[in-house]
Amino acid sequence: MSAEEPDFDVIVVGAGPAGAVTAYLLARQGHSVVLIERGEAPGAKNLSGGVLYGRVLDEVFPGFADTAPVERRITRHVTTFLTADSSVSIDYAGKPLAEPVNAVTVLRAKFDPWLAERAEEAGVFLMPGVRVDELLTEPGPDGVRQVVGVKAGDDELRARVVVAADGVNSYLARSIGLRPKPPEHHLAVGVKAVVHLPRQVIEDRFAVSGDEGAAHAIVGDCTLGIGGGGFLYTNAESLSLGVVLRLDDLIKKGRTAIEVFEHYTSHPVLAPYLRDGEILEYGSHLVAEGGLEMVGEVVSGGFVVVGEAAGLTINSGLTVRGMDLAIGSAVAAAKGVGEALAAGDTTATGLAAYRRHLDESFVMADLRTYGRAPAFLERDRMYGAYGELAAGIFHDVFSLDGTPRKHLAAVARGALKRSRVSVRDLISDGWAGVRAL
Amino acid sequence: MKIVVAYKWAPNPQDADVRPDGTVDLSRAKAAVSEYDPVAFELARRLADATAGEVIGLSVGAASIDTPLARKAALSRGLDRLVLVADDALADADGTRLAAVLAAAVRAIGDVDVVLAGDSSIDVAAGQVPLTLAGELGWLGLASVSRVEAADGGLVVERDLPGGTTVLAVAGPVVLAATADAVVPKVAGMKDILAAAKKPTEVLALDGLDVPAPGATLTTLSTAKPGGGDRQATVIDGADPAAAAAQLVGALRQAGAL
Ligand SMILES: Cc1cc2nc3c(=O)[nH]c(=O)nc-3n(C[C@H](O)[C@H](O)[C@H](O)COP(=O)(O)OP(=O)(O)OC[C@H]3O[C@@H](n4cnc5c(N)ncnc54)[C@H](O)[C@@H]3O)c2cc1C
Repeated sequence: MSAEEPDFDVIVVGAGPAGAVTAYLLARQGHSVVLIERGEAPGAKNLSGGVLYGRVLDEVFPGFADTAPVERRITRHVTTFLTADSSVSIDYAGKPLAEPVNAVTVLRAKFDPWLAERAEEAGVFLMPGVRVDELLTEPGPDGVRQVVGVKAGDDELRARVVVAADGVNSYLARSIGLRPKPPEHHLAVGVKAVVHLPRQVIEDRFAVSGDEGAAHAIVGDCTLGIGGGGFLYTNAESLSLGVVLRLDDLIKKGRTAIEVFEHYTSHPVLAPYLRDGEILEYGSHLVAEGGLEMVGEVVSGGFVVVGEAAGLTINSGLTVRGMDLAIGSAVAAAKGVGEALAAGDTTATGLAAYRRHLDESFVMADLRTYGRAPAFLERDRMYGAYGELAAGIFHDVFSLDGTPRKHLAAVARGALKRSRVSVRDLISDGWAGVRAL
Repeated sequence: MKIVVAYKWAPNPQDADVRPDGTVDLSRAKAAVSEYDPVAFELARRLADATAGEVIGLSVGAASIDTPLARKAALSRGLDRLVLVADDALADADGTRLAAVLAAAVRAIGDVDVVLAGDSSIDVAAGQVPLTLAGELGWLGLASVSRVEAADGGLVVERDLPGGTTVLAVAGPVVLAATADAVVPKVAGMKDILAAAKKPTEVLALDGLDVPAPGATLTTLSTAKPGGGDRQATVIDGADPAAAAAQLVGALRQAGAL
């Protein structure tokens, strides 16, 4: 550390879930922490589909679902395969999903400020409206260059540890060469809208009541065959909906994200849910999609990377998870950084404690479980032909056209023969899917 | 010189929704220092620095104007200290009542030489608060102020009026409303925000102030969007930036704007 006294023990850059929770937990340990956010208020710049898998947050803030601005508790998960004119859905509704809280919908414009307020209450100095431009580095005690602070405009702030919680594509981690620019096939682009509908209309259309909610995952024709999927989630008085599209595939197929989004929202299967809704907000954002492959380096001298900045997302094809992993990494970082500060060693060696806690946490366990999902999801058939196959099977089951009924297995074989999917594809994808998901 | 900057904690226009009928909905917008007020902060700071004076921020409104975020947002913009009257009784107060409360607070602060304010607030934009405040105080009030400097115990004030600019010498207490582009305000840096947290804030109780009871009540009957004028609404395709730029220049020439 240099002769100059640090202004804070820890500087956290980015007041998303990863940054706010890291700052909160470190302040609770008694450290001085500043949380810097470029938005005029936390959440102002954040976009997310909005299903938070809440177990980990419940450990940080027990009973958060009763006090935080949570929209609805998800008790109904619907998965739909679409073709141009038909759909096949699997509808899983279960009260057990609500207790203890498994998944809730949140709106980031309300949820992020709530997290930041908890951090402020714990003593964190919240600094909104400031964009960090670069990291300050100096040779550390081990002779290796070490991060010693941040620069924004003409001002510099110094700290023993800087936490990069600056979201997908972390500019800060890339600026010191810790993490490479992710390849296009590890990135997806999300387009999302929030649509207002009266509470009662939502409950009627989605067959939920009280504070229960539904999460729909949609694959197939809704993305014009581009790798990715659509989502449709219920909030208290609005719907969050959008598509998440693989960037490389979008470019390859020469489409724009907006085109796909418009196709999606006007699809005959979606339209009835949205009828008469009023668009409240609309935006687009990148999502990390590389899974385990994208995690890479998360620690350097005086510096750790958390949340989506560290590539921590899981896209299983049916769910996008980022917020819970961001919070999980925040818990690991607060432990690791806390230990390094206590030991007085914030070099890469001291901060390696974070990586160990991360490796032992559910975050890396789940990333390993879903490690093969990205490659699996890159298989094209996932986004077109399977929807047609499923629709073909159900068409044959439900359409009574006078031909003798066949057993389901025979129907499926017939549908398979007509579809673009070969038996070998089916076996290969099935096996890959079982292993990946 | 003792300078008060009156500012409003108002909805941020970046979060505004434009309804299908063209009217603007600010109900979901987060609050911030009202768009044009930082100009007044900057003028006040420069005036105080030139006269070894003090700048006191002053805002009156609902209880929500007093949060840690709101305090720091104001104090990081060159203030020495802050005075707030934050009471939900003022939640829907009209401009005249706000001006009366501001005047009472200015009297409570005492010995104030100048009150600076923005031209108008971003949400109401009626532009009447600064001059009503001057009336309540019995002071001179000047709007459209584009420059202000200290001179021989008084002020030299430049006004930017439709008929041209006027330079005035002012002696005695005055309320000045600055034009939106009088100066380019400095953006608060990290050190400013850190320093802000250490500066004092005083909260005055509304009950403790000497504010005359409002004489009239005000109810909004309807709102409509401003008339569209004779806009041409030409849309230029930006796919080829060079061609689009050429087209734009052409269109501006044709309209006589260039
Ligand atoms: C369309 C879409 C749908 C999604 N759906 C879901 C879902 O349903 N469930 C789920 O769990 N996840 C979902 N995700 C992923 C999830 O949004 C992210 O994984 C999560 O937000 C990551 O949290 P974070 O705190 O790491 O980063 P972020 O939430 O991105 O926060 C980063 C913060 O850093 C700030 N920042 C960045 N750079 C700077 C700088 N230089 N200086 C100061 N501040 C800076 C930003 O303004 C931002 O506030 C979705 C993402 C998208 C795009």
